[in-house]
Amino acid sequence: MSCGNHHDVPCIEVLSLMWVYIDNEIDDSHRVEVTVHLQECPPCADHFTAEQTVQARIRRCCTEAQTPADLRSRIVSQIQASLRSD
Amino acid sequence: MLKALDYVRLDPVAVGFVEMATETKDEKATRFERDVMPFLDSLYGAALRMTRNPADAEDLVQETTLKAFAAFDSFTEGTNLRAWLFRILTNSYINQYRKKQRQPFQTSADELTDGELNEVGQQLGMRSAEAEALDHLADAEIVEALAALPDDFRMAVYLADVEGFAYKEIAEIMETPVGTVMSRLSRGRKLLRELLREYAAERGFVAQEVGS
Repeated sequence: MSCGNHHDVPCIEVLSLMWVYIDNEIDDSHRVEVTVHLQECPPCADHFTAEQTVQARIRRCCTEAQTPADLRSRIVSQIQASLRSD
Repeated sequence: MLKALDYVRLDPVAVGFVEMATETKDEKATRFERDVMPFLDSLYGAALRMTRNPADAEDLVQETTLKAFAAFDSFTEGTNLRAWLFRILTNSYINQYRKKQRQPFQTSADELTDGELNEVGQQLGMRSAEAEALDHLADAEIVEALAALPDDFRMAVYLADVEGFAYKEIAEIMETPVGTVMSRLSRGRKLLRELLREYAAERGFVAQEVGS
């Protein structure tokens, strides 16, 4: 898991921050630390890349949903009906 | 000991119910159709993943849009409409559809301990070669794996990974603390990857065994 080199921030800490980093929820100072670590540690960088690949795959398979036309028209009719209701 | 929450950027998110000035019903309907209807596909997509069947998904979206229309005067224009709609959708699902499902509601989404949070990164242990193997799975298999997750995990993973909501937004949508969102996300993602690995292995897709 480790590339064997010394890092200012150890691999275990970088990996514990992986999701907050990928999710863009990390604060700026830690973002810089993680980015620097990833540039000098190929094994950690590979983990990050792998997770982002899987995340992108999950997103791709779920974004094609189309509202059925009859549902869409039912909703519009209900809104129109509520306008006439009083 | 590191606490993951210490590293999280906390932005205030407006998912507000603030009183709106007077508006005619026609104006409200026009504003609703203009602003809300463009989100219909993404609400329907989320409803499909939550309910796991098209008939319930349609009912859920219909209920959501009706509630949203009824409450639309209290939505402040310029605040987070997408999160507001997803909150109504999620609430409706939790209150209506989840309790009538045969499968008992599973919730093991308790807070993670600091130690568990620190382990999350290593436990996944995914390598890019393996991720590329998972990339070959069919959409239906990914959907099936997602459907197999417990409700709370599935919703958190969907809201983060598919819809790209921030932790704070998911916390508002699911009405739960940010720490719980992070716990559900890490457990849900881990479980989902375990399932995807199983499917890939069944299909003979797995590239190599991964040390952790």
